[in-house]
Amino acid sequence: MAERFRAFSFVDRITELDPGVRAVGRYAIPVPVGRFPASLVAESVGQLAAWASMAKLEFRRRPVAGLAGQVDFLAAASPGETLDLEVHINTCDDDAVAYGGSASIGGERIVVLADCVGPMLPIEEFDDPAALRRDLETLLGPGAPAGRFSGVAARATNILDRIPGERVRAELRVPGSAPFFGDHFPRRPVFPGTLLLDSQIELALALARELPAFAGRSLVPACVRDVKIRAFTPPGQVLELRVEVLEADADRATLSLAARGNGKPVSTGRVEIVSGRAG
Amino acid sequence: MQKEITTEEIQAVFPKVAQIIADALGCDIDQVKPEVPLIEGLDAESIDFLDLIFRLERAFGVKIPRGKIVEDARGDLAEADFEQKGAVTEIGLKRLKEFLSEVPADRFKTPMKAADIPKLFTPETFCKVVIRAQRAQAAA
Repeated sequence: MAERFRAFSFVDRITELDPGVRAVGRYAIPVPVGRFPASLVAESVGQLAAWASMAKLEFRRRPVAGLAGQVDFLAAASPGETLDLEVHINTCDDDAVAYGGSASIGGERIVVLADCVGPMLPIEEFDDPAALRRDLETLLGPGAPAGRFSGVAARATNILDRIPGERVRAELRVPGSAPFFGDHFPRRPVFPGTLLLDSQIELALALARELPAFAGRSLVPACVRDVKIRAFTPPGQVLELRVEVLEADADRATLSLAARGNGKPVSTGRVEIVSGRAG
Repeated sequence: MQKEITTEEIQAVFPKVAQIIADALGCDIDQVKPEVPLIEGLDAESIDFLDLIFRLERAFGVKIPRGKIVEDARGDLAEADFEQKGAVTEIGLKRLKEFLSEVPADRFKTPMKAADIPKLFTPETFCKVVIRAQRAQAAA
């Protein structure tokens, strides 16, 4: 499949690998993608952890979705920049991988993941184990070709109802087809939790801009906490997103994030928004 | 056979365990009663149990292997004696009732699918998991 190992793959090379213990790698953000959100930087760290855990379990199982205890967004990444990735695996067995890690640019950490857990599921349901082994060889050897990722089409959220500065309910129509589904995952398309998170963060930023204390200031996500993916989202599903301000002061707002699909919880979490420089 | 876990031991860890359960499930701590079934009463899912185990490990500084509850319930019983074709055997069910003594008898179904065992788990079950892990650590 043309999209496999391309359309949603965010590790280009693995320079150090101790399966089930640690890994170091890198990813060059292609220039044409235009935007590379913080959630995809976190995705690239998570993908490096996935390689380190799949290698440990000899490609019998792979982590899918899961939870992120804390992800700090320290600086933004821009197309054309190269992410230096590192992960440390705390535990890795047939049930779960627990890990932390970071992405850096030019020696400065821009995203830090802590207390992350990926449930391990049978790999055959999602991808061809032999193809994954070959991909790992590529990553450990010459590296994957640069510029594989060509960006993700903007996902429109339709506002269903809102109380400005308090809460918003919106609908996200997951596309029925998209290149990333061919890579995430080749045998079972699942809407990536990090793309969902990106939409949720955008809604949270819009809501936080309505807070009087933040008026006229530029806002950025500082961190997400307790993000938990509770169900797989197939192509074409309509998700209901709810974002609510939990607390806010002059410099920081904490908002809850929830997504539901087919009447069931799909994800939960919290985001902290901080004011950056004066806008 | 391990020394029985006392009510006092459970009461000592319950407030912290309840707070961790409330955080993991995103529910109000007042909803976390010792006997409430986590799946049917508080909408917990398998990812929540994974979350819960890691949170308990971090908060109490103990090691809790996944699958530990069922493994401990089985004890020295061979896996084939505990479970056959996905159903808990009669002797397995007896073990389970003894082990999950905090769970009312009417919540054990016959036949019981092994996959349904987590439906029995309550906050008290996880208090006992923590206490056993603490004891194991102290003995090591």
